[in-house]
Amino acid sequence: MQAQWNLDDPWSFYWSYLGDLSGANWLLGDRTGPVFDFGPSLRHENWSVGEIIRDQLPVSMTVGIAAILLAIVIGVGTGTLGGLRPGTWIDRLTGSVAVVGVSIPAFVVGTALLMIGGVWLGWFPMTGWGSWQHVVLPAVALSLPFAAWISRLTRQGVIEERHADYVRTVRAKGVSETGVVLHHILPNALLPVLSYLGPATAAALTGSFVIEKVFAIPGLGMHFVDAVLSKDLTMIMGIVLVYSAALVLLNLLVDVLYAWVDPRITVGARS
Amino acid sequence: MRPLAVPIVILSAALILLLSMERDEESWDFVIASENEVFTLDPQRMSWLHDMRMAYALYEGLVRWNTEDFTPEPAVASSWSTSPDGLTWTFTIDPAARWSDGSPVTAHDFVWSWQRLLMPDTAADYSFLLFPIRGATAFMKWRSDMLASFDPDAMDAETLMETTDSQFDHTVGVRALGDRTLEVTLDHPVPYLLDLLAFAPMMPVQRAAVEGWTLTHEDRDALQRDGWHAITPPPWSSRQFVTLSPRTGRVQPDHRWARPGTLVGNGPYVLDRWRYRRDLAFTANPNARRYNPASLDRILVRSIPDGNAALAAFRAGDVDWLTGVSSDVRGDLLEASRQADAPRDRLTRSIHAIPAFATEFYSFNCGPTLADGRPNPFHHAGVRRAFARSCNKQELVDHVTGLHEPIAGSMTPQGSIPSYAPPEGLTYDPERALEELEEAGWQRDEQGVLVDAGGSPFPVVTLLYSTSSPRHERIAAALRDQWAERLGVDIDLEGKDSKAFGADLKAGNFMLARGNWYGDWGDPTTFLELFETTNGNNDRRFSHPTIDSELRRAAQELDPDQRFKVLQGVEQALFETHLPLLPVCQIVDVTMYDPESHTGMTTHPRLVQWMMRRDTTGSPHHLATPAGSSCPALRVHTDLCTRVAHSRQPPRKGGGSTTPTGDR
Repeated sequence: MQAQWNLDDPWSFYWSYLGDLSGANWLLGDRTGPVFDFGPSLRHENWSVGEIIRDQLPVSMTVGIAAILLAIVIGVGTGTLGGLRPGTWIDRLTGSVAVVGVSIPAFVVGTALLMIGGVWLGWFPMTGWGSWQHVVLPAVALSLPFAAWISRLTRQGVIEERHADYVRTVRAKGVSETGVVLHHILPNALLPVLSYLGPATAAALTGSFVIEKVFAIPGLGMHFVDAVLSKDLTMIMGIVLVYSAALVLLNLLVDVLYAWVDPRITVGARS
Repeated sequence: MRPLAVPIVILSAALILLLSMERDEESWDFVIASENEVFTLDPQRMSWLHDMRMAYALYEGLVRWNTEDFTPEPAVASSWSTSPDGLTWTFTIDPAARWSDGSPVTAHDFVWSWQRLLMPDTAADYSFLLFPIRGATAFMKWRSDMLASFDPDAMDAETLMETTDSQFDHTVGVRALGDRTLEVTLDHPVPYLLDLLAFAPMMPVQRAAVEGWTLTHEDRDALQRDGWHAITPPPWSSRQFVTLSPRTGRVQPDHRWARPGTLVGNGPYVLDRWRYRRDLAFTANPNARRYNPASLDRILVRSIPDGNAALAAFRAGDVDWLTGVSSDVRGDLLEASRQADAPRDRLTRSIHAIPAFATEFYSFNCGPTLADGRPNPFHHAGVRRAFARSCNKQELVDHVTGLHEPIAGSMTPQGSIPSYAPPEGLTYDPERALEELEEAGWQRDEQGVLVDAGGSPFPVVTLLYSTSSPRHERIAAALRDQWAERLGVDIDLEGKDSKAFGADLKAGNFMLARGNWYGDWGDPTTFLELFETTNGNNDRRFSHPTIDSELRRAAQELDPDQRFKVLQGVEQALFETHLPLLPVCQIVDVTMYDPESHTGMTTHPRLVQWMMRRDTTGSPHHLATPAGSSCPALRVHTDLCTRVAHSRQPPRKGGGSTTPTGDR
C-alpha cells in the first residue's frame, strides 16, 4: 500500500501530491481524471478524498450559511435593541440571549431543539438530510454562538455611535428615530460585525462536529474528527486545505467589502 | 444595514442554490438504519457483518442458507453431488443465472472469484475459507513468496501474472468443467462445505466488471452471450479498475468498481445509489433469477451511527429496521416490552433481543505457571470447575446486564446448529464448588478465607477485561462479588483498553480474562477448534491430548451423525470436566422492527437477514411533508437521509475474530 501511494518516499509523495492537487499534473497531461486531485482516502477504499469533500461540503455549507444568516438577523436585532437603551430591561433581556448563546454547549441546544421542534411540536424531521426542513433545527443550534457574538459587537457599536456628533446633527435636522438608526447609526456600528463575519462564516461552512452528530447530518465536520482518529492522512490534509482556503478567501472578501462600505479605507492605494 | 447587505445577498443566494441541489423525492418499500458505514461492496474484501448484509442483496453464491434452520439450499448451483470419499464435490450451475448486465453466470466466475479471494494481492480477510480446498494454502504461499522475491529487472509483472494463473489452474482443486459444471476437490472431508459456500466472501464477482474491461462491440456481444471467459481479456492498460505494478509485481485493484453504475452482481437487487455516509439504495434486479415473490422493489439503507438519532428516526417512522440499538436505551425498552400488562405501543412491540451465534465467556489461564513465574492455581481443572459452579449466571443476565441473555453452559449456542445438541455444562452449585476446591487442596478457614493445607491463602486473582464497553466492567464486578462471597477469594479487577487487553491476552499475561466468540460457519468446530493445543486463538494455553485426538477423529469421520456424536463428546468433556473457560451467556443482538408491518425477519441465532425475504404489510414510505411546511417547490422527503461519526458500539466483525480484542 505504501508503494502504491508513494508513501514510502516522503519527497516523491510531497511533489506528486502537490502536482495532483494544484492541477499541474493535469495541465501537463501526466494524469487523467479530476483537475484538482486530493488523492485517495487511506481508510475508505471506495472513495477519493475529492469525492468525499464534494459530497459532504455542500451539506455543511448549507447548514453553515443558514446559521450565519440567522445569526445576523438575531444578532443585529438584539444588539441594536440593547444598544439603543443600555441598562434597561430590554438590554438585559437581549444581553441574556448573548450569554445563553455563548455559554450553552451546542449539544444541549441541539438536543433541546430536537425535543421541542421534533418531538413535541412535530414541525421538523428529527434527523437526516434532503430538504429545507432538515436545515432549520441544526441551523438554529449552530447560529446561537455566532448570534451572541454579533449581538455583542452590534450593541457595543450602537452604544459608541449613538451619542456621536454626526448623530446629534442628524437628529437636529429632524430625521425620524428609525431613519437615524437605520441610515446613520447602524452602517457605522456594523463595521466590526462585518470583519467578524469572515472567520465566522469560514468556521460555520466547514461543519460542526457536534451539530452534525446530534442531528445526524452527513457533513464534513464529522469526517475531520474521524480522519484524525483513524489516521487518514490524505483526508486530514484535504479537509484542512479546504478549510484554510475558505478562511483566506472569506477574509479577502471581507476586506474588499470593507473598502466598499467604508470610504475611509482604500484597497491598494496608500495616502 | 448597508455593510451587511452584500454578505447577506451572497449568502442567501448560495443558500437557495444549495437547497435547490437537494431534491430527492422518492419512496421506499423498506428503510434500514445502519449504525455502521458500509466499508466495501466487494464480497472478497468483506469482513464486517454489516457489509455482508449488503452482499446477500447484491450477490448470490452457489448455495444459500434457509433462514428457518440454516440448512443450505440451492441458489446459483441447482444441484450438487459428492464423491464417496467426501473429497470431490461437483456443482451444476443453474443455466438461468444471470449477472445484472445480462451475461450468464458460469463456473468460470467462481473459479476466478475464488482465485481472487486467495491471491495475497486482494488482501482478503477470509482467504482461509478456501484452505480446505486442495492446493489452496500452497498456492497462496507460492504467490506470496513470488511477490516477496519479485525483481523488476529479472521478470516483468505480466509474466508473473501469467505464471500465477497457470499455477492456480494446475495446483488448486477448483476447476470449471465447461460453463455449467464446477468441480471442487478437497484436502480432507469438510461436511460443512456447503455452509462455507453460502458465506459472503465466497460469492462470485464478474471479472469484466471488477477489472473494468474496455471492450469492442463484438466482445461486448460475446460477453452478453457466453460470459467473460469467451473473450480474450484486453491488455492491462485497457482495464479501468486494475493495474499491475511493474515495481512490485502486484495486482493493484481500484476498489471503485464496486459502486453504482459499474458494480455488476447476480443477486436479487442492484445498487442504485451509494452516497458516502448517507445512504445506499437498492432496486430489484431485473436480470435476477425468479426469487421470493414477497420481494420488495426499493430498499434504502441509511447510515445513522448515532444511536439516539437512529432511535429518533425509528420513533418518527422514518425507518423500518434499526440494525442495532443504542446501549443507553435498549435495557429500558426491553424492560418496557417485557411488562405484559403494559399497552404495546409501536416502540415496545418493536424491540427484539435475538440471541446470536456467539458466546460470552471468561477464559482461565490453564498453563502451569503465570506470566510472572508464580504457580497458577487455575492449572488444576478442579479449581476452574469450582469457580464455574459458584458463578450465578442467571443473576448476571437478570440484574447486571439487564438483557436477560440465555445463560450458557458450553460454547456452541443451543439450537444454533441443526441436529447438534450442545451439552448442558456445569450448573450453579456453590456447595459442590467448595467440595471441588477441597479435593484440589483448598478450603475455607474460620475467617472464611480460602487457604491451602499449609495455611497460605489463595493467590489474589486478577480479572482482566477490556474497557471498550461499560458492560464488561459491570459483569466483572458482579463476578468478583460472587466469588468473594461464595469462595472467599480476593479478586482484583484490571480494566485495560482494547489494545493492551489484546496484547495481555495473547501473551498469556492474565489469570481470568473476558472474551467472546462469534461462530463463522454452521458447525460446532467453529467453536471447538479454539481448544486445540495448536490453534492460534487458544489464548487459554489449554492443552489436552484426548481433546486433540478426538477433534482429529471427528475431522476424519465421514458419517455426519457419528461425527456430531464425537463433537458432542468433545464439548461435554470440555465443559463438564476440563473447563478451559467459563461460558457466561449467549450474546444477544438487539434490533428494532415492527412485527405488525414487517415479516420475514429471522430470529435464528445465525442472524443473516435476507432483504429479499422481507415482506411489508404496511404502506410504503412516501414523501411526507412535515406539518407546517408550505413550500411546494421543495417538498420534503423524510426517509432520505444521513450519517454521522463513529458508532457507540465498535463495529462487529463477521467472524470469530472478536476475541483478541474482546470488544462488545
